[in-house]
Amino acid sequence: MPDRYNPQVIDHLVRPRNVGELEEASGTGESGDASCGDVARFTVGIRENRLEEVRYKVYGCAACIAAGSALSELVGGGSLLDAARVSKGDLEEALGGPLPSGKEHALTLVLDALHKAIEDHWNKEAGEMLVEGYGGLRTGASGEKTVVVATSGGVDSAVTALLMKEAGYDVACVTFRLHDGERGSRSCCSPDTVLFARDTAHRMGLPHFTLNLKELFDRRVMKDFVGSYAEGNTPNPCVSCNAHVKFHAASFLADKLGFEHVATGHYARVVEDPDGAGVTMARPVDEAKDQTYVLWPVPKDLLARTVFPLGEHRKEEVRRIAEDRGLAVAYTPESQDICFIPDGNYRGFVRKKVSAEPGEIVDREGHALGRHKGVVDFTVGQRRGIGVAAPTPLYVTEVRPKTGQVVVGKKADLETREVRVGGLNWFLAPENAESVQIRYNGRPVPCEIEHVSGDDGGEVVARLAAPVFGVAPGQSAVFYSGEKVVGGGVVRRNT
Amino acid sequence: MTEGSVYLDHAASTPLDPRVLEAMLPHLRGAGGNPSSLHAPGAAAREAIEEARVSVAGLLGARPDEIFFTSGGTESDNLAILGLAASDPEKKHVVVSAVEHAAVRGAARHLESRGYEVTRLGVDADGRVSPEDLATALRPQTALVAVMWANNEVGTVQPVAELAEVCRERGVPLHADAVQAAGRLRIDVSSVPVSTLAVSSHKLYGPQGVGALYVREGVKLSPVLFGGGQEGGLRSGTENVAGIAGFGAASRLASEEMEERVRHEEGLREQLISGVLALPGVRLNGHREERLSNNIHLCIDGVEAESLVLFLDAIGYAVGSGSACASGTAGHRASPVLIAMGRGEDEAFSAVRISVGKDTTREEVEGFLGAFSTAVSRLRELSPLYAS
Repeated sequence: MPDRYNPQVIDHLVRPRNVGELEEASGTGESGDASCGDVARFTVGIRENRLEEVRYKVYGCAACIAAGSALSELVGGGSLLDAARVSKGDLEEALGGPLPSGKEHALTLVLDALHKAIEDHWNKEAGEMLVEGYGGLRTGASGEKTVVVATSGGVDSAVTALLMKEAGYDVACVTFRLHDGERGSRSCCSPDTVLFARDTAHRMGLPHFTLNLKELFDRRVMKDFVGSYAEGNTPNPCVSCNAHVKFHAASFLADKLGFEHVATGHYARVVEDPDGAGVTMARPVDEAKDQTYVLWPVPKDLLARTVFPLGEHRKEEVRRIAEDRGLAVAYTPESQDICFIPDGNYRGFVRKKVSAEPGEIVDREGHALGRHKGVVDFTVGQRRGIGVAAPTPLYVTEVRPKTGQVVVGKKADLETREVRVGGLNWFLAPENAESVQIRYNGRPVPCEIEHVSGDDGGEVVARLAAPVFGVAPGQSAVFYSGEKVVGGGVVRRNT
Repeated sequence: MTEGSVYLDHAASTPLDPRVLEAMLPHLRGAGGNPSSLHAPGAAAREAIEEARVSVAGLLGARPDEIFFTSGGTESDNLAILGLAASDPEKKHVVVSAVEHAAVRGAARHLESRGYEVTRLGVDADGRVSPEDLATALRPQTALVAVMWANNEVGTVQPVAELAEVCRERGVPLHADAVQAAGRLRIDVSSVPVSTLAVSSHKLYGPQGVGALYVREGVKLSPVLFGGGQEGGLRSGTENVAGIAGFGAASRLASEEMEERVRHEEGLREQLISGVLALPGVRLNGHREERLSNNIHLCIDGVEAESLVLFLDAIGYAVGSGSACASGTAGHRASPVLIAMGRGEDEAFSAVRISVGKDTTREEVEGFLGAFSTAVSRLRELSPLYAS
């Protein structure tokens, strides 16, 4: 690596292009901060997915100034997709080759500022949609091979994008900003996960976008998660995200770009129903990675435009594909259970958000057995940390937030043969349901379902052929017919 | 130096004086005898070294046998600090100022990694160490103190005489890095009781790669290089004869011309200071009076130092960002000197050093002021942080 700048850098430093700020910008993006020594700000004028105008300002070293200038030249006047494709390598080439050692950060900084400006444009276009949830889903199909792939920087989504590209699709990658708990969030650029996802897309020659969904995610996933715990339920945040956030946002971007499909790195399949009932979801080839249990709430009209290419592959194959194609993500660890609680301490997380009132631990007959520090610490089926001595192991059988009571009992008390399910989403007619799965990686249990009325558009009762233990309100219940997902819902209280 | 560019970075390195070059040439062209050899070429080399030793001693008010040639300022600082520490191994405490050159900081850090305790003396907003603070920091276990004579970045001159007096009273050796001071300030070790003192040739129009350590008679110092026992056993290795001859010539010229050079530099310095301070958002760092004759050190709002230095370079003016040794290395690092003086990191990123020399002209300074104003306003137009 050289320790001096190329003449191109000095030329951009002394004669910077496109300096300034647009007065009526479609988007503004800033990256860096004065205490790091570098700040880049881009303003963009976007019309009909073309970057008609670009202006930039930089406070920072010569590399940052020159990189900003060169980037503005590369993307100005071109299509948004081409702008979103410009990689650090492209930028380096425009600057006459590698930057001196320690200056590579300049490329990341200015690209991040440009990407944030484009992100700002999308957020303005979306208005309340990315806060309230995207409802304006387009119908009809053009049959074009174009796809927006939701990427996280991990191996699964990267390989998804690669497989779509190799299948002849025009691919645009999108990464969502969901919360502030991302790795590297405190640094002055975007979180590492966003930067990594962008780099990965660029190394595949693919355009990359970011969308800020923090408000939507907070409202539909995090608040729901906390509220659900406070009500004594056992929520699954991935389910809420799939129900309201991820697929809707990807579809929004696809519609804005005029793209046909959306794809994610989930292990599931989308299959045509032979009876002409449209598409349905089916279990993937790699049953150990099966994610259909958390995908049940994807609306059917969104599923119709969704592709899950990993559904046809085993995880080992996915890793091998990444390795063969030289994707740097090949060895990234499996992602966390709950992305916004990276340390896994979800009780601690919930406790920070809601005040926990102490209360009574009682048996089924209502006899007080002890005290607890808050119902949020308990979930149905829990055995550890109850804090009451007993000759046989005690389990939480019920959490009653209204009275602050935690009910405990024997394991047998957790047994149930009837599960009430609401908040339903069906891909196929309910009567197709042959079995129900009540846990991630759980076994489906044969069942019959019976419609009952409910206050939110219908509930069903699943009568199980065999007893299951520790069914907690808030968990998902997903109905299957063989490999196919018939539909799913949320376990309700049996009252 | 690039042809045609105006050189205003004398604190980083000075151009070789043609008269110094003349003094060096015979040794570069000649027989190249080893000064330790018995034959005539060896004797000629030895004679050149001893003559240079007299000249360097003269510049410092020292005796020739108290001067030991080294490869430069960094080696002299390391030899002094590591050598003083090693000569009194029972004492495990070291005091250095917070604004030392990287050579002193690095040597102190090395001792720290070997179990020494290091006290770093803070400085005031001008970068000066107080003698009272020093007195408080000394302990019976203090092996040595290192405070520079004048600061390489901001140009502040330390109250060395008072600091040396504190050390003398307490019987603790004081090492002074006088790399920037030598040739610009009257240094007289016969009246200022420093124990060791580092100087470098290329800061006073001599060649790069040669320096010296003054070691007061009676001060015990262990060598850090071992071998043929040259330089009184303190610095083994065949001497850099041409370099030392050049250093000698440069020292002699510096002694002879010091008053004239200082007067000339101070005039240019004041012209520069009043010119740059006329621009908005420009501040002078370092002590207003107690400063090196050639040093102007500035913080410039809304402008990052490296881009300013390179911008000026592209339009024909060579100045320094921070200190030359620290810049050019990976990434952004705020100058510890400015941080010690209480400046914020963002200010420290905007620091440039302009240092004139004996051959700088008024016209060059005028030209520079115009270029500086252009560069600053162009970079401010670019800056998202600066609102005019």
